[in-house]
Amino acid sequence: MSFDGFPPFISAQLHYLINHFPEKIKVTPPTHIPPSFFQIVHFNQRKYFGLELGDIIYNAEFPLAPPDIIFGPEDEDFHPLHMTGSVGEGDLKFGNILCDWNHKDPTRLLALIQELRDQYMAYQKKRVGEVDDDRLTFEISTICSREGIEMQISSGAEKPEEVKFAVPLMDMNINKMVHGCPWRHPQKIYLQVIYPVGKKYASTPSPPRLKLMSTTELGALFTIEDVKLPSWLDGMCMAEYLPHLEESLQKQVVESVSLIDIRRRFIESLTPLLGRPLEADPVFCRKATFLASSGSFVFLVHFLISTQFPKQQPAVMLQSSQHISPQGIPKKSPLLSEYPWSPRWEASQMAERILRVSLPSF
Amino acid sequence: MRMSSSRPKEGNRGKMKMEGVEGDASAGGAVRYTLNPTRISSEDILFCVDVDAESLLEMKTAGVTRLDSIKQAILVFVNSKLSINPDHRFAFATLSKSASWLRKEFSSDVESTIAAVRALSATTVSSSQADLTNLFRLAAHEAKKSRAQNRILRVILIYCRSSIRPHHQWSVNQKLFTLDVMYLHDKPGPDNCPQAVYDALVDALEHVSEYEGYIHESGHGLPRTLFRFMSMLLCHPQQRCPQDDCDIPKPLVKKAAEPANGEDNVHASISR
Repeated sequence: MSFDGFPPFISAQLHYLINHFPEKIKVTPPTHIPPSFFQIVHFNQRKYFGLELGDIIYNAEFPLAPPDIIFGPEDEDFHPLHMTGSVGEGDLKFGNILCDWNHKDPTRLLALIQELRDQYMAYQKKRVGEVDDDRLTFEISTICSREGIEMQISSGAEKPEEVKFAVPLMDMNINKMVHGCPWRHPQKIYLQVIYPVGKKYASTPSPPRLKLMSTTELGALFTIEDVKLPSWLDGMCMAEYLPHLEESLQKQVVESVSLIDIRRRFIESLTPLLGRPLEADPVFCRKATFLASSGSFVFLVHFLISTQFPKQQPAVMLQSSQHISPQGIPKKSPLLSEYPWSPRWEASQMAERILRVSLPSF
Repeated sequence: MRMSSSRPKEGNRGKMKMEGVEGDASAGGAVRYTLNPTRISSEDILFCVDVDAESLLEMKTAGVTRLDSIKQAILVFVNSKLSINPDHRFAFATLSKSASWLRKEFSSDVESTIAAVRALSATTVSSSQADLTNLFRLAAHEAKKSRAQNRILRVILIYCRSSIRPHHQWSVNQKLFTLDVMYLHDKPGPDNCPQAVYDALVDALEHVSEYEGYIHESGHGLPRTLFRFMSMLLCHPQQRCPQDDCDIPKPLVKKAAEPANGEDNVHASISR
């Protein structure tokens, strides 16, 4: 990402932040620069399971000074410089980062954002703890000891008050399970649980809304959307629900790791027919491209292999290595993903069948 | 993984292939292919195009110069490479007496590739020499930047002269980037020395290349041969086999004998 037009020390801080922040962070370049000399850097922090922090603003008149931070209207009560109680230490740290601001130090912005986020989480946790709802109080008491759990209360003029939890699942080091793992940060799976805030116990409390979420890069290994959540039975609580879910997820993650080598063997099985691939994904084995010929016609054969392989057949696309439109658009076949398939075929049989199906239609 | 710097000169590299032989994949290495779980990096690819007057010689297709075909081939290559992995990037330089930048910034944007390719134009006077030293210096400098971004740098040199042997001065310990070569030349005759030029290009490649570099040559002027060889250069350097063992593209369907007039399948126009 280039930050043209920013002073170099601000660019350095932004680069450092993007490269070192433990989750994916998005920096949107300024969409407007009002005449009053402000250079605005919008930090759309990845919706941290519902937590979206505000805008970070560098003042073009005083670029050496620390940035200002603007929070959304819901967070009027968030005063990181004045937090009391159990976060006394953190409050000091946040203030220190701002007081000791050194514009030449590229790590400062990251430290600021991390501290800000920690403060914000603590603030939200405190707010949630103050909610007058017996069920919620009970739920919090059973799971608040889980490391890494986050919570947030959200309310608005038109919607009822809700409490959102992001519960980290499985104490698994998934990164270690993948040979040649390219992930810089640990990949995690979370369960988002959303409770409406009620004043007293209803006779049958409604089940919370549940959604599985994961860190982005995990998608190369495991498709979170394919997971079927166990049902939430009447009268259940999180302490009962989570162990079942975790056990099931653990099995699925282990299976997804074993599927990597199934995909690897499939790519390897294509080589007697198609030769060595031009390029193949060596870690997750999700794609491979080969070069083939038919007479004097030379073309690429792209294979896209889903995490559901071999249950789901690979998608195939052919691309000419000789034809290009005047606009510079290459000639490609449509992506072929529906064709007769059986996961029980041998790998070499799969290869032959795919080519038989894809070649005439090109 | 670095390949050893001493490679046998027999096989495809030692002498030029018989011309006109196509669609006939050699048996290739008998070793079974394995896809090892070793990370590969996205590439920064620097095209260096020879813009000497010889690049304006016509291909067998009337009205199409070598440079026209090269431009076309680069566009096809870039599109193919991006469809394999949209994270690969490209930059451009030209070679006359020495190398100089045409477009210095590496980018994966197809529009800017089209613009750079359009800007390629030949010199009117033939250079008496071809010094690759500056090219290697530029590449080494860029390679350090690429490495800092977890990328690898590759130079694809497209050379067009039939009698000018390129030369270079380079420390043998510096193998910071991969070098591939595509050599277009006239048919060998008493007034030229494409074999000697080819040998010099092989020397350069083996001298500087970090990973296994590939070199292809063609003297019969068919654009489709150029495209075929360029598509073989799509191979990712970190997943290559020795060139002598290369067995792609594999013929999938056996066809009847090709028409003899060397028609090609190029369908596009390039503005000169």
